[in-house]
Amino acid sequence: MKNNLRFILALIRMKLSKMMVFRLTFFGVVFVDGTLFLMQLLMYQAIYSQVDTIGGWTRGEMIIFIGTFSLINALNMSIFFFGTYDIPNKIKNGDLDHYLTKPVNPLLRLTFESVDPGSIPLAIASIVLILYGVKNLEIKATPVRFIAYFLFVLLMTLLWYDLQMIVRTIPFFTISAANIARMGDTVLELCMKLPGTLFHGVYKVLFYLVLPYGIMATIPTQFIAGQLTPLGILYGIFIVVIFTGFTLWFWRFGLRHYKSASS
Amino acid sequence: MKKYLEIAKIIFKSQLAWRFDIAVNVLFTIVKIIFAYLIWNNIFTDQQVIAGFTFHSMLSYYIINSFLSQLDMSDSVSNEISSKIRGGTFSKYMVIPVNIQGYFIAQSAGSSVFYLIFNFIAAIVWIFIFRIRFAFTAHPLYIIAALFMMLIGLLFMIQLNYFLGLLTLKFQDIGLFLMIKNNILLFITGSMIPLTLLPGIIVEVMRYLPFYYVTYLPSMLLIGRNGDEMLPGIILLSVWSVIFVIINKFTYQRLRVKYDGVGI
Repeated sequence: MKNNLRFILALIRMKLSKMMVFRLTFFGVVFVDGTLFLMQLLMYQAIYSQVDTIGGWTRGEMIIFIGTFSLINALNMSIFFFGTYDIPNKIKNGDLDHYLTKPVNPLLRLTFESVDPGSIPLAIASIVLILYGVKNLEIKATPVRFIAYFLFVLLMTLLWYDLQMIVRTIPFFTISAANIARMGDTVLELCMKLPGTLFHGVYKVLFYLVLPYGIMATIPTQFIAGQLTPLGILYGIFIVVIFTGFTLWFWRFGLRHYKSASS
Repeated sequence: MKKYLEIAKIIFKSQLAWRFDIAVNVLFTIVKIIFAYLIWNNIFTDQQVIAGFTFHSMLSYYIINSFLSQLDMSDSVSNEISSKIRGGTFSKYMVIPVNIQGYFIAQSAGSSVFYLIFNFIAAIVWIFIFRIRFAFTAHPLYIIAALFMMLIGLLFMIQLNYFLGLLTLKFQDIGLFLMIKNNILLFITGSMIPLTLLPGIIVEVMRYLPFYYVTYLPSMLLIGRNGDEMLPGIILLSVWSVIFVIINKFTYQRLRVKYDGVGI
């Protein structure tokens, strides 16, 4: 564990020194994702000018929802997005050999080798947005509740990582998983815009259980708004545990099918 | 003209090589409709009419808007120009005996026509799947104006993307610009929500920008609304297109000298 931590810190140091060479693109993610969430905020602002609630949620809850998704996204972009993004190509070109021959866990290295602090300003802006939403809702949020909320955000960031890794492990078995990755991105984009409270019937099964992108920002939002039942809390934790277990198993299973170059 | 038609034809045919990608692209148009269905179905349970829309006319708007947005293939223009400049292979466009902007217009037209057929089928399928009482204008003038505006709109989008692509000559990497542009375009072309839901003052400002007329106004015309904006829309969009022809010509003349054919 201690060795792994030292290894992760070394990776972060190396990445930061590399990033300083390209200072202009350092905060690129902030602008790209920032505009995405800003547009979403404007969209809901326009809809709320016509109605009072959407799926039982008022403006305050929706602001927290958008802020939460933006925060999870910022954490994802900062920690593991860039490290895991290129895994399909590494599998396809045989570049994974380079990771497998080193005396460290290849998944650990891939996950943390491209840490990108460029999204930290987006995370800060998201926290400000969440606080504004909490103020708008006029709820009494204690520090303990905030800490528990943040733990939920971390759990959901892990769920995002799991779903990304599952998609990026598929190329061990197929020539290309580009369209599956696109499908994942499209579903994610949909769930980024829609709170889970709007899903019913088949959509709820799909986005709460099969591809649980729908719970990522909804459950933490419901938690801080005091709407999440104990069963909801357990369900959120259960899904993350199941998907994390599956992701690790699927990765190991994929590695056994890795055929090096041109696999 | 004949050579541009040939380019469009070649691109049209080459699309056939990517059949699975086309099927996936078309299938993904459903996501926009699911989004609209879930959100507006919930909102319309309490209200019958919102900003002049009923539930079915709202979904009709999204179907038409999605169809028109999918026809716009100009995004590939900026990406292609950028990657060719960065790769040092942009020279091929400089030496062929065609106008470069004309080449990209023909290229986009070829893929747009190809996708037109599939997106049209998809739109009809979504109407049946979501059981939408499709609102479509019976006014021939609205239809003609919408189609005309759509054509100028596509032309404008190609010119805009051509301009952004050329900026690679100055900024070397325009990937960030393009991603930000795509995010903003989603909103200001009315793909996320009908622009009429925005405050009046913002809509008023947007009327002076070309994006209002690219997919939003044609969609509104096709569901039988905003007829009074037809003529000013066509004039304004045409003026913007002409402005961009001039800007692009000037930008190309000015920046082409920076191209060294080596790549970055």
